[in-house]
Amino acid sequence: MMLPFLIIIPLFGAFSMPIVSLLGKKVKEYWAVIISGATLAVSAKIFYTVWKTNEIILYTLGSDSPIGQGVKFPIRIVWEVDLFGALLALTIAFVGFLAVVYSLGYMKHDTGLEKYYTLILILELGMLGIVITGDIFNFYVFLEIMSIASYALVAFRNDTWEGIEAGVKYMFVGSLASSFILLGIALLYGQYGTLTMSYLAIKIAENPTVVAKVALAFFIGGLLFKSGAVPVHMWLADAHPAAPSSISAMLSGLVIKAGGVYAVARIIFSIFNPGLHAYLRAFNAPAVDMNVVGWVIVFFACLTLLVGNAMAVVQTDMKRLFAFSSVGQIGYILLGIGIGILAYGTKAGELALAGAIYHIVNHALIKALLFLVAGAVIHQVGTKNLNELSGLAKRMPLTTFSFIIGAAAIIGLPPLNGFASKWIIYESSAMYNPILAAIAVVGTVFSLAAYTRVLFTFLGRESDRIKEAKEPEKSMIIPMLILVVVIIVMGLLPWQINDKVMLPTARMLEQLNGEYIMALLKFIGGA
Amino acid sequence: MNIIYITLGLIAIYLYVSFVSLLWEGLDRKLVARMQRRIGPPILQPFYDFLKLLSKESIIPRDANKLFELAPVLALASSIALLAYTPLGFEPLLATKGDVIVFIYLLTLIAFIRVIGAVSSGSPYAQIGAQREIVMIASREVPMMLGLFAILWRLSKLGVEKPFSLGTFYQYNIWEIGTPATIVGTLILLVVFIFWLASEIEVGYFNIPEAETEVAEGPMAEYSGRHLALFKLSNALKEFASASLVVAIFFPWGLSGYLGISGIGALIIDLLFHTLKVFAVLFVSMSVFRAVTGRLKITQAVGMFWSRIIPMSLIGVILLAIDVLGGVIA
Repeated sequence: MMLPFLIIIPLFGAFSMPIVSLLGKKVKEYWAVIISGATLAVSAKIFYTVWKTNEIILYTLGSDSPIGQGVKFPIRIVWEVDLFGALLALTIAFVGFLAVVYSLGYMKHDTGLEKYYTLILILELGMLGIVITGDIFNFYVFLEIMSIASYALVAFRNDTWEGIEAGVKYMFVGSLASSFILLGIALLYGQYGTLTMSYLAIKIAENPTVVAKVALAFFIGGLLFKSGAVPVHMWLADAHPAAPSSISAMLSGLVIKAGGVYAVARIIFSIFNPGLHAYLRAFNAPAVDMNVVGWVIVFFACLTLLVGNAMAVVQTDMKRLFAFSSVGQIGYILLGIGIGILAYGTKAGELALAGAIYHIVNHALIKALLFLVAGAVIHQVGTKNLNELSGLAKRMPLTTFSFIIGAAAIIGLPPLNGFASKWIIYESSAMYNPILAAIAVVGTVFSLAAYTRVLFTFLGRESDRIKEAKEPEKSMIIPMLILVVVIIVMGLLPWQINDKVMLPTARMLEQLNGEYIMALLKFIGGA
Repeated sequence: MNIIYITLGLIAIYLYVSFVSLLWEGLDRKLVARMQRRIGPPILQPFYDFLKLLSKESIIPRDANKLFELAPVLALASSIALLAYTPLGFEPLLATKGDVIVFIYLLTLIAFIRVIGAVSSGSPYAQIGAQREIVMIASREVPMMLGLFAILWRLSKLGVEKPFSLGTFYQYNIWEIGTPATIVGTLILLVVFIFWLASEIEVGYFNIPEAETEVAEGPMAEYSGRHLALFKLSNALKEFASASLVVAIFFPWGLSGYLGISGIGALIIDLLFHTLKVFAVLFVSMSVFRAVTGRLKITQAVGMFWSRIIPMSLIGVILLAIDVLGGVIA
């Protein structure tokens, strides 16, 4: 059983870091690389196992069975890993590993690095915990681990005013969002007396009270905060530029996915399953109307992808531009999830969910690459103002090449991976409602304009500022090139990946036959 | 095995189209000269120009970066790739459903690569040309896409194997629908496409990005030697491919059916006939247009597209759609 090691290894790495760092400066860096590399290996193994068997892994902490003795319901913390969770765990471990390697060169001039590496491993741990857990309170704990580590990392450079400002803003807003989620959990626990997600799903279906709806509203509100959806995206546009770039790559690529859209999808599809509630309604039983939830998410998705991408066009700060573009891309993912709820059980819904999941993975890779590029530019030139950065292509050709690939991929040009995922989202939204597809295309036009502008500053005539610039060191270049290779290779096999990985993942998340719940019921039946 | 045939076919098409498109350049220069009572260059002049450029030294500006040298190669590569999706009297080599998007994408990509090459040169003339080119791309592709998608959508209603493929023009053509509304609509779209073609190959009114007398060749200002030769060749290929699109949409009839030829012979006859039709379309949209109109300002050209041609395209599209949509409403 490999699953516990996904948590044990980074936890061990983080807690041993203060002691290991006594051994010397280099040792702690290599220790962080080894730990995150081992995590990557474990997550790859878990993903392979789940993908191969196509079955949900259910792991109980402290016993063989989640069911208590003499009672017929689960009393222990369970971890339930379906393909969606395993896929995200793999993505998190992969990008996390590259970010740690990148930090070797990028954070060289900073002090307090043992704290930095501890925090980055804790951040990774928190996200991995979120994607594997099947217990809603456990989910909250991991969400807080992730959030607190990311507050600390955003404000890591505490001698800069913008780091502190962004950190404080992020912390206030983030704590508020977390307390919404905690309130939602408290309401559900008070009403139904259980914290296991799949058992909660059964309980809610038996008796869907107003409390369940209120709790769902709290969850969605809090999680939209965490994912940076539009009315509540302002922390993101400050936090991403202010964090060290290796952290921005993780924040933008992973944190808003694991703590935001993943959790939205998990709570909606696993606790409030649209299929289950539509079934109840068909028999005139009380049920939660999931169509309303779907439209709420679609509404915020459209707002997010328009405002995020449009705001990216007018930025002059490179990292801020990427941050707004992340907001815009979250819009596509939410659109996919929203249509997945509305068109539940149809071809369009399944396709939309597959597109959303595909885009989560693609955007994690692409945006990590773009932030690593921005980090390399800042590290070598010392500015992220686009007006001062003209003509970088001549002095930093590899960095520019990585940027061009990243920009082309995020716009969604065909031979790269962003194309397939966006295409699936367009196609499914056009199948559901052509107006939504039109809005999505308008968002893409904005993002095309934004990235074309950055491209022209990378090319063009050399400005005085960059006359002395040169390529960064190997430990920063190699992670970027690995991401470039992954983006291109994934771009060459788009439909194979979609059929072999993303569609099964979407089906497993959709759980048309209640697989997520059945994985637990197996134990209850046997007890 | 199939892949080998396609590769061989693409090479053959590439060689043929390079020859024919350069030949057309020569014809065009001759015709325009005659319209202005000049004798003009010999018909094979573009070949001499091409060979001369290849043999000349290529000067790289000091401010240029790697993309300056890469852009001509990428542009030629995309034009060759474009040929695999171009209808040339028969179905494109790689015809699949939805390949129209690849066609438009590659066509736009060539223009975009030109812009990237220009920006990478570091020359302010090229920068201005590049900005104009971008503005033109943004205006001219809208009416074309509108018209093209509407026509393909209308044809897909007739029951084709591969909807939204450029191959469908050889199964059904747009005139066959035959209702008065569609015929008028198609005629309007024909005018739109003639204007689009003129702006795609940048002649007459739309010779704005290159504008020799104004911004010294614009995007091409810093290119010389074999880099310029590659760009000239890729432009000639793009010209042929764009005109092929217009021919395929509006005049897709082949000769082989009438002559009762099949197999390889049919392909060759259709290709030759297609080439003739392309020359005829280019004669109207390129030679005549170039001889009788002067250049517009960039604002005038953009205004023309957004206030005249896009509405025209919309009207044509509505006329085309009207009988199908009428059926839905009624």
